[in-house]
Amino acid sequence: MAEIKKLVLGRKIVEDLDEDQELPSELMTVNMGPSHPAMHGTVRIVLTVDGERVVESDVQPGFLHRCFEKESEYATYTQIFPYTDRLNYISPMINNVGYAMAVEKLLGLTDAVPVRAQYIRVIVSEISRITDHLTCVGASAMELGAFTPFLYFLKAREWLFELLEELSGARLTYSYVRIGGVVSDLTPDFHERLIDLLDKIDGVMLEVEALLNNNRIFRDRMEGVGPFSAEDAIAFGLSGPVLRACGVDYDVRKDNPYLVYDRLEFDVPVGSAGDCLDRYLVRLEEMRQSSKMLRQCMRDIPAGPVIVDDPRVAMPPKKEAYNTIEAMIRHFKHIVDGIRVPPGEAYTWVEGGNGELGFFIVSDGTGRPWKCYCRSPSLINTQSVSKTIQGHLISDIVPIFGMINMIGGECDK
Amino acid sequence: MSEQPQASPQTVTLTIDGRQVTVPKGTSVIEAAKQVGIEVSAFCYHPGLTVVAVCRQCLVKIDGQPKLQPSCQAVCADGMVVHTADDWSRGARPQMLEFTLVNHPIDCPICDKAGECTLQQLYFEHDNAASRMDVPKVRKPKVVDLGPHIVLDAERCILCTRCIRVCDEVAGQHQLEMKNRGDHEEIATAPGAELDNAYSINTVDVCPVGALTSKDFRFTMRAWELMTTPSICTGCATGCNIEIHHKNERVWRLVPRFNAEVNRHWMCDEGRFTYHKLRTRRMVAPAIDGLPARWDEAIGHAARLMAAAIQKSPAGVGVVFSPQHTNEDNYALVRLAREMWGVTRFYVGGKGPVPERADKILRDADINPNRRGVKAVVGDATIAGAQVLGEDLSQGEISALLVLGHDLELGPEPMERAAMLEALVVIADSEEGIAARARVALPSAAWAEVAGTMTNRQGLVQRLHQAFAPPGQALPAWEIITRLGQASGAALGYGHVRQVFEEMVGKVGELSGQAARWGRETRPIQLRFANSRG
Repeated sequence: MAEIKKLVLGRKIVEDLDEDQELPSELMTVNMGPSHPAMHGTVRIVLTVDGERVVESDVQPGFLHRCFEKESEYATYTQIFPYTDRLNYISPMINNVGYAMAVEKLLGLTDAVPVRAQYIRVIVSEISRITDHLTCVGASAMELGAFTPFLYFLKAREWLFELLEELSGARLTYSYVRIGGVVSDLTPDFHERLIDLLDKIDGVMLEVEALLNNNRIFRDRMEGVGPFSAEDAIAFGLSGPVLRACGVDYDVRKDNPYLVYDRLEFDVPVGSAGDCLDRYLVRLEEMRQSSKMLRQCMRDIPAGPVIVDDPRVAMPPKKEAYNTIEAMIRHFKHIVDGIRVPPGEAYTWVEGGNGELGFFIVSDGTGRPWKCYCRSPSLINTQSVSKTIQGHLISDIVPIFGMINMIGGECDK
Repeated sequence: MSEQPQASPQTVTLTIDGRQVTVPKGTSVIEAAKQVGIEVSAFCYHPGLTVVAVCRQCLVKIDGQPKLQPSCQAVCADGMVVHTADDWSRGARPQMLEFTLVNHPIDCPICDKAGECTLQQLYFEHDNAASRMDVPKVRKPKVVDLGPHIVLDAERCILCTRCIRVCDEVAGQHQLEMKNRGDHEEIATAPGAELDNAYSINTVDVCPVGALTSKDFRFTMRAWELMTTPSICTGCATGCNIEIHHKNERVWRLVPRFNAEVNRHWMCDEGRFTYHKLRTRRMVAPAIDGLPARWDEAIGHAARLMAAAIQKSPAGVGVVFSPQHTNEDNYALVRLAREMWGVTRFYVGGKGPVPERADKILRDADINPNRRGVKAVVGDATIAGAQVLGEDLSQGEISALLVLGHDLELGPEPMERAAMLEALVVIADSEEGIAARARVALPSAAWAEVAGTMTNRQGLVQRLHQAFAPPGQALPAWEIITRLGQASGAALGYGHVRQVFEEMVGKVGELSGQAARWGRETRPIQLRFANSRG
């Protein structure tokens, strides 16, 4: 549909009607969601449809609101890590890292984080990025009727979850990162297992690409659906794979390298049409690039401590805490009062699974943040949905929404 | 605030960490530093007590002196140059803390002070080094019963002697002493004495560690889980400023809050225990003739009873004000009774005086917190007391009675008479005394559950803040009175206690100037983030 017709009191102006093309129809309002299999998480779209075409839409997120920002004001800096896990729960490690970096910036510890810890943070972030994209691509394919890629990709995701579970103790909500480093070192056979898994996942990706890339149904549903121009994407503040699919070469890891990303060799894939197919292809390529980065990290990671040696920030070893009063007090103050962060404000931004994930923290010098704002890419990317689906068929909402990859926990915060 | 006596208005000017400060002559360096926002760490120094300089934690460098000086004892002099952040004095603090911690037991997980402990705080801020000890710690007695309210853990004690000074200087009774020497030194009761005075629990407040614990509070609740709300002690007419420490709709302890004009740093033990009353025999639902009723039924019934009595004879209707309730509650009642109902037979209830508890320190013989406020609000300094009410009841002059508060010192005979009245409406928080005999009993919120003001014996109007919601269906008394007025057709329309207060300002003599401001609403905050203790 070239242009959306003007509406007067919910009816088309009769003069605009092209009698040869369509029958006069009355507009109808329907709800898509909040509880709908294709509405990831819980989001409601109020659609005004003309037959099968979307004339207008009102996207209403917020059903999964957990008060992340407000809750953070009542928790110590360390207690916030579990909350960040639940933002984008498909790639919690990146949230952990992004949040920890904001606090470290306030503490002036950014450069003091041990190199090994920085490598570990990159490793877990990239593993999380792969799990994020596996889920997004797999689920979107399933919603278009291709169930096999979903099962293949979730099997692969499960391998990575198991690896991270071995590392952190939790399958999904890791809370593995700490301010000043990470909580524990890599497990002894982490290296071999990760490389082995990456090889296997490369195989799975080849299988899935063989199933999808030239699949007539898949391409028809993806190609040319929901295109977005680079200008519009920038105006909407989009970021991540959705932005890069529009041809904008922006990746926080390249343009503002943090941790050890400047030591790694990788490419940033960009699309051209900005449609759903491009978003899909960009995600697939990003998984390959992550895999490449992981192999480099495992090759280069140095030995050493995994958390900064600063008693203000790091907890004492358990053995000392149980046996000396000094370490006991330190442990106690860390748990009860929290890390004392000097007054000030800091913003850090990292490349999350869905785009630029930022944390803005204002400290008043106590053990808890005065304000902890999260720039969640899901929320900002979801803003574009209303514009993207305009004029498309109802069934196109499914791939468009799937490729935005809105994660309720992050979008609604 | 300077606690040192000011011999003359003369002042001295000194430099602390490069910042000039002018203080009255005689001020200690530690107090002068506070004025420019520099907190010097200390254990034994307490602004309300004399200086002994035994902990050596507050050592600072003073130019011209050969050694570091204890800043609590060093008196400011003109031209003095003090350094608190130079390498020398900054190095002394962890050294002193290391000595203090040598024999300190690893008790934090089971210690009542943990979370509000000065030792924890100073170690975390100034030392943070690992232990270098490899010899066993000196063991001392763990549970020493010092008196009716206090238990001593001698191992935790860091020998700052604050508790000894509290007994000597606040309570005026020498009950604690040091015994033994070196690392075997410990606190003990003085020969023939036990720690038993009216102010003994102040020793627990000043104790920088968990050596002294109050039997009333120990092992009940972790300090960092508590919420804190500022309020006023309702134990007597002194009106000591307190903090309510509460959690889960329940008070766990009361601690004094500094007010230079009223109680300084202290409060009495009896006042600390007033919170127990908040959980005994509370009325949680309105009752008509002893049976539970809905609010609208009870209010309607009470209004009808009072209206009938007023119609019969306004002179026979009595109203009893409560010095246990806030100015706002009493003011709403006086407006209803005098302006709306035209009743003039006023009495003031409350608990009877206890002359033997009075001392020259804090405790007052009048154990009602707001008697002066009631007199000001009613506008009648000679308002009749419970005794006159008893006589009037015995002589049958009263046909109906509206009573605020359950505390009413009536003899058995007048009490029976009151119980037989046509109309006896009582607004009270506990089902005791006259409240248990009421025809209509209306449950009110108690002091920890309301916002309002009370006027202490000096005439200071002080704010109470609401710590948590009242139990069951209880409501603040001013709201009950407003509803009662509305049910009897009176134009009483208070929606918030602040409206009552603001209407009172100007009409009531003592509510002017500084006292005429309602001030900020204070909500409960977590004790661990309040920075008020430890």
